[in-house]
Amino acid sequence: MIRLDRPLVAAVSYPPDNLIKRNMGARVEDKELENRDATLNGSHFFWQKAQLIDRRTSTRYARVLLRGLELPCDVEVGQFVLVRYSDDPCLPRAFSVMSGSDLGLELFIKTEGRVREKFAAAPMGTVFEVRGPYGTPYASKINFNRKYVLVGGGSGAAPLLHFRRKYPHLVAGEVYGFRTEDACDLLNEVDLTVESTTGLRAHEKLQSVWRPGMGIIACGPEAMLRLLAQQYRQEPDVYVSLEARIGCGIGTCLGCSIQTSTGMQRICKEGPLFALEELPWLT
Amino acid sequence: MANLTVNRLGTSFATPVVLASGPAGFGYELSDALDLAQVGAVTTKTITREPKAGNPQPRLVDCACGALNSIGLENPGVEAFVQTTHARIIQLPLRRILSLAATSHDEMEQLARQAAALSGYDAIELNLSCPNVGGTITGANADAVGDFVRAAVGVSSIPVLVKLPGDSGNLLRSTEQALKAGAAGLTLINSVRGLRIDWNTGRPFLSRVYGGLSGPAILPIALARVFEVREAFPSALIIGTGGLSDLGSCLEMLMAGADLVGIGFGLMVDPELPQKLAGELRHWLDERGMASVEEVIGIAHSGGLGVH
Ligand SMILES: Cc1cc2nc3c(=O)[nH]c(=O)nc-3n(C[C@H](O)[C@H](O)[C@H](O)COP(=O)(O)OP(=O)(O)OC[C@H]3O[C@@H](n4cnc5c(N)ncnc54)[C@H](O)[C@@H]3O)c2cc1C
Ligand SMILES: Cc1cc2nc3c(=O)[nH]c(=O)nc-3n(C[C@H](O)[C@H](O)[C@H](O)COP(=O)(O)O)c2cc1C
Ligand code: FES
Repeated sequence: MIRLDRPLVAAVSYPPDNLIKRNMGARVEDKELENRDATLNGSHFFWQKAQLIDRRTSTRYARVLLRGLELPCDVEVGQFVLVRYSDDPCLPRAFSVMSGSDLGLELFIKTEGRVREKFAAAPMGTVFEVRGPYGTPYASKINFNRKYVLVGGGSGAAPLLHFRRKYPHLVAGEVYGFRTEDACDLLNEVDLTVESTTGLRAHEKLQSVWRPGMGIIACGPEAMLRLLAQQYRQEPDVYVSLEARIGCGIGTCLGCSIQTSTGMQRICKEGPLFALEELPWLT
Repeated sequence: MANLTVNRLGTSFATPVVLASGPAGFGYELSDALDLAQVGAVTTKTITREPKAGNPQPRLVDCACGALNSIGLENPGVEAFVQTTHARIIQLPLRRILSLAATSHDEMEQLARQAAALSGYDAIELNLSCPNVGGTITGANADAVGDFVRAAVGVSSIPVLVKLPGDSGNLLRSTEQALKAGAAGLTLINSVRGLRIDWNTGRPFLSRVYGGLSGPAILPIALARVFEVREAFPSALIIGTGGLSDLGSCLEMLMAGADLVGIGFGLMVDPELPQKLAGELRHWLDERGMASVEEVIGIAHSGGLGVH
């Protein structure tokens, strides 16, 4: 029967473990079929209500906590959720999950652009809708026999903060680049590289942190990723997280497809993390 | 309980709700989101003879009530489709429409011949209206429409539908040519050419400048096109597509004369939408004591609902 009103049930956990396990170590060629395999239980397709229960803001950023009985709470590192106002007919916005626990989903949002501004200014208690999580976990892509320097640019810090919490033993160093120091209070668990005070941008700071043998996981604006790609293209295990405007989030609309060395891949499905060698155009 | 079944094209659609070509992929990706028994048919992503990588990013940008897309018909090409995807589509428990696009009469004929060799489809839909692949839009040229339809009808054993653009000044002529050439029906409309410019950079948002507008913004355009085609061709099958996002808009589309309603953008935003719509439609008919969805199809042309 059709469920027009889904009853709220407590703490469901998804995505189902089988998806994550199936994706583990899958090669890119396999992944196409694996991902298109409809083995999910479906719950992640549905919009779930989520209430804004905590927020800290600075001039340019907001760190928000969303809570809802049916929200996914065991999101894997690197996955994202789609967020919209209730019944908004526009495209939803994608946000990387900074932490997901019984307390709620924590997101880190750059408060720029009309829709994101609204997210950041909404009164406490506002009900949003969330679906997901989507995307391939970093764990299915990276080489676990290496330690990584995490390189974030602006809101790109979000999945990396999730990474350092979940895999501290894989972290060799961290660089979180910000234009100004306004985000420092929001991200007090880490040191930020603030361009306005140090004169250094993330990729410049990286030069003093990275040593041969270390891998890199980077998430931030494409300009930052390009600079990084120019310097580290020859190194093994360099991964970058890409962005595109997301439509469906589930791999069907092809709005987020990008060219890779192994063919077209979807940021929302096979990504958002890609090995640098898959992206020869990123220079 | 009201009957949502729509009998057309010599077959039976369980509900009038159809997954439009594109946003739904090949349909099976949604089989866990959707109770497919509530969906009348799936239309596949458009398939071309050669594989197509589609357009570079950015391919999507939103606007007040919808989005512009510039996917550029990314698809694996007919050969890879036949070898991999096809087998999964034909297992889906609903009607299936295979969407095809070509750039010439001969290519259309060849592609339709390859499609005709496949079993498991209830109709072929010729996408003559993609706004995102350069060149001229075949659907805007009535003679070319007739030519392409003849190419496909000549080699097909199943009904051929034609998907036409919503912004063509020639729609009635194109429809006439399509029907004369043997088309069994029309899908109206494809997304409508549009543009957005990023005021920070002064450059268009999309890599290919223009995109196709879909979503609630185009509902009135789609309704007008369906209404006028229904009026001019009372017995042609029409899949009314464009801006359908809730029960009200679907009712409008059926009343304007669509036999089936196609959901694109709405499904991209909410994968659950098609089955919600089927449920709400049934409920709406029940509340009014109507026995079948057939009772609303086209009634805007005959004085409306009357007293129920
Ligand atoms: C996997 C993934 C993870 C992400 N994670 C995060 C994250 O953790 N935190 C984060 O902050 N972002 C994140 N993003 C990016 C986020 O989804 C962006 O909000 C999205 O890319 C849209 O940004 P925007 O500024 O264009 O849109 P919005 O800020 O939502 O602006 C809305 C609309 O306003 C109008 N508009 C805005 N600017 C202009 C202009 N210059 N000219 C004309 N119209 C304009 C347009 O209609 C625009 O679409 C992520 C993206 C992806 C793909
Ligand atoms: C992301 C996206 C991809 C599309 N791809 C196709 C396609 O491959 N073939 C096609 O005939 N129409 C395609 N369309 C058009 C839709 O099928 C539909 O005709 C149009 O978007 C209007 O309906 P809507 O407002 O419900 O989206 C696409 C639309 C979108 C938004
Ligand atoms: S957003 Fe639809 S395929 Fe990725």
